[in-house]
Amino acid sequence: MPEVKKFPYAEEVVLPPELEGWEEMYPPQRLFSKDREDWEKRHFWYQDKIHAPEPMYPLDDIFQEAWQISLSQYTTRVFCIPPAQGIAQRMLGCYMYITAVEPPPAAVVQEKAGLFGKRVPYVFENYEKLWDQWLEKFQRLGKEMESIKVPREFSKFVPDEQVFPAPRGYTEAYELIESFNTIISLIFKAWQYHFEYLNLAYLAYLMFVDAARKLFPGIRESTIGKMVAGADVSMFRPEEELCRLSRLAIVQPPVGDVLKQNVSAAEKIERLRGVEAGRAWLEELDRIKNPWFYVSCGSGWYHYEGSWINKMDVPFSYLKSYVERLEKGEKIERSLTEISEERDRIVREYKNLIKTEDDKKSFDDAYKVVRTIYRYAEDHLFWVEHWLHTIWFQKIGEFGNILTKSGVLKKPDDIYLFNRFEVPMLLEDIATSWALGEGAPPRAKYWMAKAEKREKILEAAKRWTPVPGLGVPPEEVSEPFTVMLWGVTTEKVGEWLKGAVGEEVTVIKGFASSAGVVEGPARVLKLLEDVVKVQPGEIIVAPCTNPSWAPVFTKVKAAVTDIGGLTSHAAIVSREYGLPAVTGTGIATSVIKTGDVLKVDGTTGIVTIVKKAGA
Amino acid sequence: MPEKWIYWLREVSAKHNNVVGKKCANLGELTNAGFRVPPGYALSVQAYNRFMKETEATDLLLKFLSAFHADPDNVGDTLKFEEASMEMRKIVESIKMPPDMEETVKQYYAELCEITGRENLYVATRSAGPVSHPGQYETYLNVSGAEDVVQNVIRVWSSTFNTRSIIARARLGLPVHYDPIGVAVLTMVDARAAGVIFTVNPVNGDESKVAIEASFGYGEAVVSGSVTPDRYVVDKVTLEIEERIVSDKGSEFAYNPDTREMEYKELPPDKRKIQCLEDREVIELTKIAKQVEAHFGCPQDIEYSISGSLPFPESLFLVQARPESVWGKKKKDSVLGKKSGFELLFEKAMTPTKVKVG
Repeated sequence: MPEVKKFPYAEEVVLPPELEGWEEMYPPQRLFSKDREDWEKRHFWYQDKIHAPEPMYPLDDIFQEAWQISLSQYTTRVFCIPPAQGIAQRMLGCYMYITAVEPPPAAVVQEKAGLFGKRVPYVFENYEKLWDQWLEKFQRLGKEMESIKVPREFSKFVPDEQVFPAPRGYTEAYELIESFNTIISLIFKAWQYHFEYLNLAYLAYLMFVDAARKLFPGIRESTIGKMVAGADVSMFRPEEELCRLSRLAIVQPPVGDVLKQNVSAAEKIERLRGVEAGRAWLEELDRIKNPWFYVSCGSGWYHYEGSWINKMDVPFSYLKSYVERLEKGEKIERSLTEISEERDRIVREYKNLIKTEDDKKSFDDAYKVVRTIYRYAEDHLFWVEHWLHTIWFQKIGEFGNILTKSGVLKKPDDIYLFNRFEVPMLLEDIATSWALGEGAPPRAKYWMAKAEKREKILEAAKRWTPVPGLGVPPEEVSEPFTVMLWGVTTEKVGEWLKGAVGEEVTVIKGFASSAGVVEGPARVLKLLEDVVKVQPGEIIVAPCTNPSWAPVFTKVKAAVTDIGGLTSHAAIVSREYGLPAVTGTGIATSVIKTGDVLKVDGTTGIVTIVKKAGA
Repeated sequence: MPEKWIYWLREVSAKHNNVVGKKCANLGELTNAGFRVPPGYALSVQAYNRFMKETEATDLLLKFLSAFHADPDNVGDTLKFEEASMEMRKIVESIKMPPDMEETVKQYYAELCEITGRENLYVATRSAGPVSHPGQYETYLNVSGAEDVVQNVIRVWSSTFNTRSIIARARLGLPVHYDPIGVAVLTMVDARAAGVIFTVNPVNGDESKVAIEASFGYGEAVVSGSVTPDRYVVDKVTLEIEERIVSDKGSEFAYNPDTREMEYKELPPDKRKIQCLEDREVIELTKIAKQVEAHFGCPQDIEYSISGSLPFPESLFLVQARPESVWGKKKKDSVLGKKSGFELLFEKAMTPTKVKVG
């Protein structure tokens, strides 16, 4: 067996020639650099398949920039997790790599310990109130973003209202520049809020895992997952609304019948408008659409994923299958009571197995701590990555529109080919051209050529398989996200190294995220749009899964992901639906092909390729 | 009225340890608690007593021993003890039971045949010492017919004179000619598979797990360590089978009707490496083991047999239960200490996770 102890350094990675020029899409501070070489080489970097599984469009990169600051600061400067530091990012070949920054000097650890002791208990003691405040300010922020006015197009002359009774003093040219500045500020602020309690939620989870392991050396992470899972969290609401709408539909037969038809969502809506029951049903849909249909069709991280609200075919296809299942007498809802009761039973019975009163008390306390805050992990996800990002993408689309109308872009989505520092240049260019009067040209050809070239680079990047890691794997990790969310552990890095040397792999190890054993054909979902190809009884294999896929989990047998720990979306949803899941395998999507017969053991975390497709 | 010396299992319970021996007392306890135990009866320590004292056995043994001289601490004398053992067992096994005892043992056997609806029912005659010395005395399997039952009860009694037992008693300065034990006469389960259950993971002491070992045929194969059994670890709370090791079991311990002996029989190649329990059997055994543990209040070491002729779950029988000897006896110290959730959180925040490579 070939032995590798390290991955290549960034400079040693050979990129395909078609990627030439990729660097200019991203700001210089986001690139590996000679001037920071020593520091960069001291760290182990791995590709972030959770937030950046695909090549990064420059404007979509804004979320990454924002979380690098936000996630890190709560660990280093706010709640001060003593030995941990932030997570740094670098772009390489259009893919994003991240690293847990090495621990701070001992004196800083001491200082942080004092602040941690003062600040963190306060959060746990007041979490319920703090959550209410969080939600209120977050919704306010979202509404502010919704209310941003982006000029649809430049008017030939400003209207009279802007002159009488007193000149407004500024024009659409300024409004355009200001509104972009505003939306940038707001998205950064939203991401500041995003991590407000997340670091502590993950830390609490890791603490509970430790305590449970000390008491029960063999306890499965999947069992711990069941103990801490919250059932009534915001992320499950969209699906609950679909279930409710489906039930409403079947008691009004014409509505259910229309929903079952094999036509587009637009056509169904048209037909529903034609009947009274349909109009009432549509009214109900309209009432809950914002926020509950503001769900990304993917992860919420890429502009091309779309959201239910602008890809109604997606929720309507789920509605169709729910209506059909209801008519067959099946139950479509997850039973929250059953989930909660089962969770309480497991916790109670485990507690009964503890022998000493001291341990019982500590276990109880540890459990209370994790239960207090853990739901944040699912609650924030809906509000930030789904609801707010949907608003963001709609607004950015408006900027894309005016740039297209002004002739500097071929199509609105091309705006995503420019990073957040460049978009203001394009906006200034068209504003200037308008202000200068007739015949003063913007640099349309320049921008369009740039966009075209970048599109090609990104296409090439999509075909390239990036190396999973860069540099020398670390001895220890103290950063809670690294362990928990990305699932970087000893075994994991070992698995990646295996994949890196190209061995024939038939057994893949990951986290035992949801118990059970099944066998079935694989459906590899490398691209988000592949989700529509999933057939009943298949096992989905994906870099990671997304909340809007929840309804897919009602027809698949199991889930396998490259990245993600026990609290990743795939893990949570699989447990909800009682499907086996193995997450964080690192290599599943590169080793498994659609049609391979897999055996997924969600209890041990082992996926076996029983039969290769076509073999 | 003479002291009672024979009992149906349901007539005894844990408090009869000194009357019928531990194994019988525990089987009685299990029977009374509603667990499925093969029907049977127990000959008490008093039965041994009567046999040894009312027949010429004691006289003959003492007479033999008066002429026997050997040093139990001298390994060189082992051969002498072996010869003595053979002689003493010959003496005991050639003596008949007092007629009323023989009659009663046969009567109980007849009733057992009637209860189970089988003529010439196969039974096991098992030793049951008042203090547990596992494996020290002997057990005879697949005994059938009243005459054979009587003879095998005597053989179990005579196993108190096997070499290792007489050396052990001589070494401790105990009487060599006398060591009263009980005998269990138990219906044989026509074992398709059998093995041992621990209600604690013996590997790490994790009390949230049940560990089950299983092999084809009779349980002696697993208990004696003659085969590598299949192994399962099941979570007591979620009832999920978390570990499953299917071993090459090589052979099974089975009854050979031609020789009327139990013997190891090589398994056909296609059967050696297949799982010998069904998953539902594993789960059911786990549930039963949890109940047994709850009944006795401490981790248990349980022997079970699965009948090849009865339908599930009536096929599962317990044939032994005793406190688990390694983890069960450990004093339970606090693992976490008395800590608040925040103290635990702070500890975690201070500890980096090691990630080692290569």
